[in-house]
Amino acid sequence: MTPTKSPSQHDEILKTLQLYIDGSKQGKSELMRPAFHPQASFFGYAGDQLAVGTEFLFDWIDRNGPAPGIEPRVMSVDILESIAVVRLEVANWSGELAGSGVRMSDLFTFLRMPEGWTIIQKAFHWNS
Amino acid sequence: MLERNTPQKTLESWKQIAAFLDRSERTARRWEAHEGLPVHRREHQKHDTVFAYKHEIESWTRRRTRFGGKDSVGEGREAHNFSQVYEAPANGYLIEHDAITRTMDRYIAGARAGDGELMRPAFHPEATMSGYCQGVEYSGSIEHVFAWVTANGPAPNIEPRFARIEIIETIALVHLEVRRWSGKLAGANSRASDVFTLLKLTGNWKITHKLFHWHND
Repeated sequence: MTPTKSPSQHDEILKTLQLYIDGSKQGKSELMRPAFHPQASFFGYAGDQLAVGTEFLFDWIDRNGPAPGIEPRVMSVDILESIAVVRLEVANWSGELAGSGVRMSDLFTFLRMPEGWTIIQKAFHWNS
Repeated sequence: MLERNTPQKTLESWKQIAAFLDRSERTARRWEAHEGLPVHRREHQKHDTVFAYKHEIESWTRRRTRFGGKDSVGEGREAHNFSQVYEAPANGYLIEHDAITRTMDRYIAGARAGDGELMRPAFHPEATMSGYCQGVEYSGSIEHVFAWVTANGPAPNIEPRFARIEIIETIALVHLEVRRWSGKLAGANSRASDVFTLLKLTGNWKITHKLFHWHND
């Protein structure tokens, strides 16, 4: 993938990603739902448990509650025509389920829909 | 002739490829069909001829042997062409890198053969796919990919290239560029960009998502 030639595409992707970050910070899945494609998927290990499906994610976010101290960093944004990949590192996760001071590595893949960029998958690695 | 420099870097027939692997031609053909042995084809009017690059065969062999393919190359032999096979891996990253490309080889072998079932073991049972082809969005179960590949039929000339492999502990991303797609559905000389997400599942890397962009050029 080559660096994006279009700053606006880049910004639109990050605008969608911001919905995920806002939802995570406030512990409200309803804020992040619009960022995800209806058929989006979610994969990763939370400890030994394999977590699959966006409903798992949304439920976890709601039950985890606010995580006001999270520090999200976008490590890379790569755009190739109608598809894109964002690598996100989130430090200092906290909350009912997350505990404290946890770090999450995320790979988001995006699909460009007529109405804008949507997350088609989130894969994560939980650094406990 | 410049191309025919020595030492020879290419193998020009099934016979030469098999000899280089120290296996029968039948085994070499089976490895191409089922395990992604990198064999290329030149198109001629009547039929295609095969050739292979020694460095690609060696690299494939290292990956395959380290991850326990059946009847591994060099198994039980004192001397053979592949001394590198027995070298300890340089580091953990390379072990994972090789394991991931081995999984991807199954996808490539299935695409080349036009056999969706051949690539199925590379995928997680709940894997999904999405992307656009000629302006139409296709999103849903990975079964659509298996069905498409089988309906498309053989695409013997595809040229897959790993543009990027990124590994984060238990997850990984593979950007694969495939040129010279052909077949009943692919048309001729098409190009696809694929982004695969993989998960390390009890020691095995499985594809959980295939995101694609089909180029219209």
